[in-house]
Amino acid sequence: MITTRRFLTTLTAVTCILGGTLTVQAQSRVSIGVTETIETHNPYGDSVSLQYGIYSEVTGPFCTYSYAKGDFEGRLAERWKVENPTTWIFFLSKNYKFNDGTTVTADDVVHSLMNRVIGDPQSKQKASVAPSIVKAEALDKFTVKVTTDKPTAPLLSFLCDRLIVTSKAAFDKYGRDAADREHMMGGGPYQLKELIPGQRLVLQKRPDHPDAKKHPNAPDEVIYRIMREPEQRVTAFLNDEIQIAQFIPPHMRQRIEKNPKLRIAPVDSVEIMFLAMQPKPPFDKKEVRQAVCHAINRDQIIATLLEGFASRLDGPIGPGQYGYDPNLKPKMNYDPEQSKKLLAQAGYANGVDVELQTPVGRYTLDKQLTEAMIPMLNAAGFRARLLTPEWATLWANVQKGTVPFYYMGRGSVQDPSAALHQYFHTGETPRIGYSNPKLDELLDKEQQEFDTKKRRQYLSQAMSILTDDAPACFLWRHKLLWGLNSRIDYKPLPDARIYAIDMAVKK
Amino acid sequence: MTSYLFQRLAGTLPVLLLISFLVFSLIHAAPGDPTLLLLGEETNAAEIAKAKERWGLDQPLYVQYLKFVRAAAAGDFGKSFKYAEPVINVIKTRLPATIELAVFAIIIASLLAIPLGVWAGAKPNSWIDNLGTTFGLFGISMPSFWLAIMLILLLAGVLNLLPTSGRSTYGIAGPEQTGFYLFDSIMQKNWSAVWDGLTHIFLPALALGMNMLGILMRVTRSSILEVMNEDYIQTARAKGLREKNVVWRHVTSNALIPVITVVGLELGTLLSGSIIVETVFAWPGSGSLLITALNARDYPLVTGIVMTYTLAFVAINLIIDGLYAVVDPRIRY
Amino acid sequence: MVFMQSLTLESATEKSVVWPRLLPRLHVKAFTGGVIVLVFIIIGIIGPSIAPFDPNKQELTAMMKPPAGIGAPHSLGTDNLGRDILSRIIHGSRVSLLVAFAVVFVSGFIGIALGAISGYFGGKVDFLIQKLVEVVWAFPPLLLGITIMAFLGQGLFNLILALVVQRWIPYCRVVRGQTLSLRNRDFVTAAQCLGASNRQIITRHIIPNLIQTSLVIGTFAMASSIIAEASLSFLGVGVPPEIPTWGTMLADARIYISTAWWLPLFPGLCIFVTVLGINLLGDALRDLLDPRLKRTGAKI
Repeated sequence: MITTRRFLTTLTAVTCILGGTLTVQAQSRVSIGVTETIETHNPYGDSVSLQYGIYSEVTGPFCTYSYAKGDFEGRLAERWKVENPTTWIFFLSKNYKFNDGTTVTADDVVHSLMNRVIGDPQSKQKASVAPSIVKAEALDKFTVKVTTDKPTAPLLSFLCDRLIVTSKAAFDKYGRDAADREHMMGGGPYQLKELIPGQRLVLQKRPDHPDAKKHPNAPDEVIYRIMREPEQRVTAFLNDEIQIAQFIPPHMRQRIEKNPKLRIAPVDSVEIMFLAMQPKPPFDKKEVRQAVCHAINRDQIIATLLEGFASRLDGPIGPGQYGYDPNLKPKMNYDPEQSKKLLAQAGYANGVDVELQTPVGRYTLDKQLTEAMIPMLNAAGFRARLLTPEWATLWANVQKGTVPFYYMGRGSVQDPSAALHQYFHTGETPRIGYSNPKLDELLDKEQQEFDTKKRRQYLSQAMSILTDDAPACFLWRHKLLWGLNSRIDYKPLPDARIYAIDMAVKK
Repeated sequence: MTSYLFQRLAGTLPVLLLISFLVFSLIHAAPGDPTLLLLGEETNAAEIAKAKERWGLDQPLYVQYLKFVRAAAAGDFGKSFKYAEPVINVIKTRLPATIELAVFAIIIASLLAIPLGVWAGAKPNSWIDNLGTTFGLFGISMPSFWLAIMLILLLAGVLNLLPTSGRSTYGIAGPEQTGFYLFDSIMQKNWSAVWDGLTHIFLPALALGMNMLGILMRVTRSSILEVMNEDYIQTARAKGLREKNVVWRHVTSNALIPVITVVGLELGTLLSGSIIVETVFAWPGSGSLLITALNARDYPLVTGIVMTYTLAFVAINLIIDGLYAVVDPRIRY
Repeated sequence: MVFMQSLTLESATEKSVVWPRLLPRLHVKAFTGGVIVLVFIIIGIIGPSIAPFDPNKQELTAMMKPPAGIGAPHSLGTDNLGRDILSRIIHGSRVSLLVAFAVVFVSGFIGIALGAISGYFGGKVDFLIQKLVEVVWAFPPLLLGITIMAFLGQGLFNLILALVVQRWIPYCRVVRGQTLSLRNRDFVTAAQCLGASNRQIITRHIIPNLIQTSLVIGTFAMASSIIAEASLSFLGVGVPPEIPTWGTMLADARIYISTAWWLPLFPGLCIFVTVLGINLLGDALRDLLDPRLKRTGAKI
């Protein structure tokens, strides 16, 4: 014991010295505690939101979604036009340069899209970035023509903040693996300095980059550190080991607010949370599905378990998301008596057995929230049971269509088109296995409609059908809590992207 | 002796083969599908089919297994689905961190356990013995994830002495040479990096080593108890040597042989115990890699890691059996 | 999994009479351990009738109430769903101990049987069984647990199975070693001469001599099963949520350590005290059974 104590005393002394020397550095450094990081050096080798965000920062986003404007905004692609429903023209900025000084050109964009996202067998991004793109060609040094196999109105939602543009020259010179690992070329305001899978990732600012010049106070170094346990993230945040902490559970916010140097920034996430029901017995009857929706007391769950940090969904999406209609009908209010009636109508007056499956630790308080739904379902006449399979099992089964009743979230829903198609359009995926010709027609029309007003109308009609027919109960969107050190001026985004260029470090 | 070792080596081959078959069938039998887990939220049937073909998952299972065995015999465990790199390379970059952690866990455990065990064994059933035993059992009586979080909250949180996670602070270390962070830093005479490494390794090593501490303490104690009653110790006492000298010089040196054996044997357990500790502490080793691989159903990578662990386990057992013969001349093979 | 190495080092046990020696001289460790284990067994058995609430009854308006003290309705407080922690702990003790006992008995049965067969018959049977032992033992234990649980799905029975898969091995190894030496002892030879069948010899003469060592292994296996259940819950492959266990309670409460200490404290304490108790008992048993200590008259 004595030896331990002596060891710790020396330890304190030396940490103090080390801490002292570190603050002398003029470079500003921001560490961010995140729950997952990039695992692969290949920018196209994974398809998770953080991957798109970080590599978009390194390579400069092709274009980006601005929540302030509620629309897409040019970056590397300064502007664009739709020549005809299957042809888009993108005009590139002339100011984006790779780390070696060469300019980012149309050839690099075409190469990244055709040879890396679509053509490379190692890419895991084709379906997410370029689902309908069949051809991309350079019209001149700074103009790219993109052709799709069918009219794709939401094309920008696939390309913006997702298309990663890397250097064709580096690829040709060094080959794929060496280019990614040792000669990572990007046209973005940050460059990748270090990647240790499972531990951290370090980005360094390129002070001469046009975006960096616009944001002189953006941090010089950004370190993404994996911290999976919430207690650990909060501890590190309180100790100033990290300056930004992702996903603070609501109940821990008081610990942070006690410290005057730290604050909590809540953000309405664009991830929609819902209960999916496959139309197989007992959910083949609309009444049973509606009974589930009327049984869940969403307001109470939000007020208690989530301490108010979520907003209720009346319909698939909420305010700030493309196509949101505040007057959408019907609304599935909390009404357990109505649920009982509906169940009786469906022939289940004496109750019916259902098994709800939920992931654990993937979404904010997922297990606790679904646990709270079980007695609510039971009070409305169900005999419900909760199962918590491991994620790999659950997710694969959901995608294969073998889970009848599950709690799930769908992220990056700035524009609901892709999500609605994925879960509810006949034959698109077996996740729910729902089929409704009227809905299909609306969703098809919506995707091919370039007139935004009409498109919103179609979307609104589709969402009204969905809410009434209830292949899923739409529950809420979480307010994600970010911990921010007051030295950092930053407005976290509603999706999982983290753009260091938008941060300002106070000197 | 040599022929015995050869025999043993030959005997392990079928064991390894059997293990490879078991891992292979277990991981393939577990629900989940790498294509569905790795291709992202928006993937479609065509993409899945292409990935299946590329990864060889469209072939019958026995063909996949035979291909795996043939390649593995030549030292090739295939390419990881997730990392798109040879499995061997992925493991090579992660293994040093785990070994470093395991070695430190052993050092911490031994430094605490052996003195405690000697003390307790020299005075059986005294209050020291009871206290020591209880302390030794402390680590075994807690799930390691729990111990890890408590250590973070206490030593990093309340006392604010140590970093909460990771293996190093960015920007302190020199270029990587062997992958053993501390070893590299010592070689480069980069003392601040060495210190930085030590502060990072202390908590995870303690969390990992607590279990071993308990076992070591108990083995030391009973081993000491045994030797204390041997005739030559009685003789030493009879010669009028002071009790302290008897215990430390005569007893301990003789009692440590089984303790060393246990340290060796426990190395295998430590490797697999590192799964949870590495995950909590974001330690970039093979344990957290195994969880990543398992969550992605990265079949080649999971198989590769398990085979590496079993190889290490088998090798350690062989070495220990060999050491027995060296240490104790009475043992003949 | 780890306790067995220390046991193999001192596995030579002879017939000994433990209990009469234990009772008159009060052995501190054995006594403490025994009392702890006994208390929890009693709670586990009569638990449901003394639990003040339904362990799964939620009350969202009364969540995270701190312990109210003895006599109050929620004496140990409520958890994040407003469930009564005391009731959950009481019900949890039943499940956790049930798992532990089931694992010990099933793996003990398999391990002792295979070990005795392996040691008694030798030859090919022995070779095969020992290869099996080597293969299963070389597996990283947690990995085996995760894959089995993922494959079979959640459930109490599957959990027990996942834990048994490796825990029979320590029994098998130690029992085999002992059987090897027992096989050539006079009383076995005598039985053989009298025409006893192999089965009779194994069940009547060999196995009774192995019970004491197996008891020691059993205590350690029990302790490690309780811990393993918690670890599997942490990795997300435990029992379904409607079954309260100490392990799932602790794993779920780990995000409340700094904000609502009573959530993790009580299940954590239960695991700690129980495992400590079982280990103390096991330690004491081992001291008692070690022939060399006895021969030289070391105090117990």
